Amino acid sequence: MYDVVIIGSGASGGAVAYTLCKAGYKVAVLEKGRLVKREEFTKDELAYCRRDLVTPNLFDEYHTIEEKVEGKWVATPTHESGWSFWNGNIVGGSSNLMSGMLHRLHPDDFRLKSKYGEIKGANVVDWPISYDELEPYYALAEELVGISGYYEKHKYEPKRSTPNFTQPPTKENAVVKLLDKSCKALGIAPLVTPRAVLSQSKPGRDACYYSNFCGSYGCSSGAKSSSREALLKPALATGNLTLLTNSHVKYLHSDSKDKVSYAVVVDTLTGKEKRIEGKMFVVAAQAHESARLLLNSANKHHPDGLANSSGELGKNLLFSGGGSGQGELHKDSLKEIKFEELMTTGLFVNRSVLDWYFVDHWWDGKFKGGSVEFMFEHQNIITRTRKNNHKEGKLVWGTELGERVVKRMTEQKSIRFEIFNDWLPNDDCFVSLDPTHKDKYGMPVGKLRVEGHPQDVKVGKYIAEKCEGILEEMGAKNIYSGISSAPAQNLVAGGCRFGDDPKTSVLNKYCQAHDVSNLFVADASFMPTGGSVAYTWTIYANAFRVADYIVQTLQNS
Amino acid sequence: MRQLKRRNFLILGSLLGISPYLSAKAVSRYEKEFKEVENTIKSVQEHMFPPSSKLPSAQSTSVTKFLFETMMHKSFDKDIKAFVLEGAKELELREKGRFVSMQKKEKEHALREYEKTSYGSSWLSRIMTLTMEGMFSDPIYGSNIKEAGWKSVDAYGGYPRAKIKYMGL
Repeated sequence: MYDVVIIGSGASGGAVAYTLCKAGYKVAVLEKGRLVKREEFTKDELAYCRRDLVTPNLFDEYHTIEEKVEGKWVATPTHESGWSFWNGNIVGGSSNLMSGMLHRLHPDDFRLKSKYGEIKGANVVDWPISYDELEPYYALAEELVGISGYYEKHKYEPKRSTPNFTQPPTKENAVVKLLDKSCKALGIAPLVTPRAVLSQSKPGRDACYYSNFCGSYGCSSGAKSSSREALLKPALATGNLTLLTNSHVKYLHSDSKDKVSYAVVVDTLTGKEKRIEGKMFVVAAQAHESARLLLNSANKHHPDGLANSSGELGKNLLFSGGGSGQGELHKDSLKEIKFEELMTTGLFVNRSVLDWYFVDHWWDGKFKGGSVEFMFEHQNIITRTRKNNHKEGKLVWGTELGERVVKRMTEQKSIRFEIFNDWLPNDDCFVSLDPTHKDKYGMPVGKLRVEGHPQDVKVGKYIAEKCEGILEEMGAKNIYSGISSAPAQNLVAGGCRFGDDPKTSVLNKYCQAHDVSNLFVADASFMPTGGSVAYTWTIYANAFRVADYIVQTLQNS
Repeated sequence: MRQLKRRNFLILGSLLGISPYLSAKAVSRYEKEFKEVENTIKSVQEHMFPPSSKLPSAQSTSVTKFLFETMMHKSFDKDIKAFVLEGAKELELREKGRFVSMQKKEKEHALREYEKTSYGSSWLSRIMTLTMEGMFSDPIYGSNIKEAGWKSVDAYGGYPRAKIKYMGL
């Protein structure tokens, strides 16, 4: 029997495994995907970005997505839509593939209801913990996992317990001169983006080598601060970690009402089932799958799903509001920098804007806003050559296609912004079990209803307009943006809210199930509201906090 | 619906009806059927990527071979695999089996007419995507010969390069 069994090896599973293994406990990590080693992470666009090689084949494993069509909810399997909700099912999870543009939450994100009051149609609540309780773990994640950056004072930049990042920012493309100047001309304060990429080598991990293909790819120097590189490798080195790959957990079995006894695990290669027993169980399978696992673990003591006496399990699922936009910097009209500098590959843009994180304006009103990241258009070659190949509604081919593609690729570079704003929790965004569709192991698939709140789009559009203004000031051409209520499937949280009241939350403030004492959920499921930045830093930080509590609990027992 | 219901879309647009390949498992059967439309697909690729283009030509890049091989890999979407065949058959059906032997102007006319149907437009776009996947993917896949595709757009894949196709899966 293991001291702790962790289901999922991504950011949160890795942080819990690391902490427990270092504390001397015997840990099993169950990962349904395979191990892809550092040296196997090549920059093969076809394999990583255009085929399902690091996520399940949708005909084998899928979700159903509910959308409202003519007033009725209609569920479509993702193998029909091609809209995958899997994110990096390999050891280390999606942290292998992230772009790593990270921020801490703001203290007011922990008390959104107190700060802004009720929002009609949204289930906003305050968190049971404050920023101050999580801050030491943000600092720990920054140092241990490796987040590079440069701290500058800003009214919406949360306070820090350490003066600055120990790793300086990654190298930047000259375009930042133009971007900074344009922002300043508009009275906007650009900030250096904290990035989960090492700018300097650490033991066992080499600094970034600026491959030009970072997001969506694994890192072959170990610079990207994935769970696999930063946490699972050192955890394995303790000798306390058993990493079980190709191990899909079908459900958790409980012999008594208060405790999980074992995980029922299927070997994805042989199809054989086995039981993995532990004193404690930590679910870290990514929000929508964690809720699905607990729903699939219903038993006579928990008929509506494990740890679901509140009826809140799967409810208030969160994605991220916002969207993106871009514009083209053309060779013949480029300002401030040389075209050759702009076209230098590999270097980061590394700029964020937090000026609209909260909006309190005499004309625009007072509301929670969001954050913005600037970056170049993803450098994938197949993807870029396939863009702009329509004219007047028709495909362009022949010599004209060649002219257009070569021009687009060699005489301009597209700069892009991504907006992150709160996805307000609401009654029409949740995960439940599909009554008819089952995965290849015979378990009901997750059915996701994914409606956003109208306020999310309003906020996104407000910020997009500001960002288009920045691109315009930079001299960019063909500027556009797209803000919609469609969820970004790689930014998912909620579904197992934490809170002090067992009647209205699934987990307590330590992310321990109210109903089942040896069960924790460590991934982003706990978040009752999501804040307006990517989740990963908060996931790392919170998982370290949860792990500390599990260590204390094990010590006391 | 935000997302196109792909399966329905692919099937309903075709005069040929529901594809037998949606459930077919036999590789050899698919290969045999592919051979029947191979020249049609090749002709379309050559029309889209002629030698006069600034991009490598279809003739010089083995893109039809790539298209077949990538569709045969287990990671490839089986609906699209069927669609590629059916769309080619549909084109030949519309042109009474003459497409391959047509002159350039006639081909242009036939393809533009086909493009006017949403089914044909989707199929042509798919053929273009599959061709460009070959042309601009890692040279290991056989179409980006001596990096000719990358050289033509002055953009190069990152390091480390692929040592094995499809991660060896």
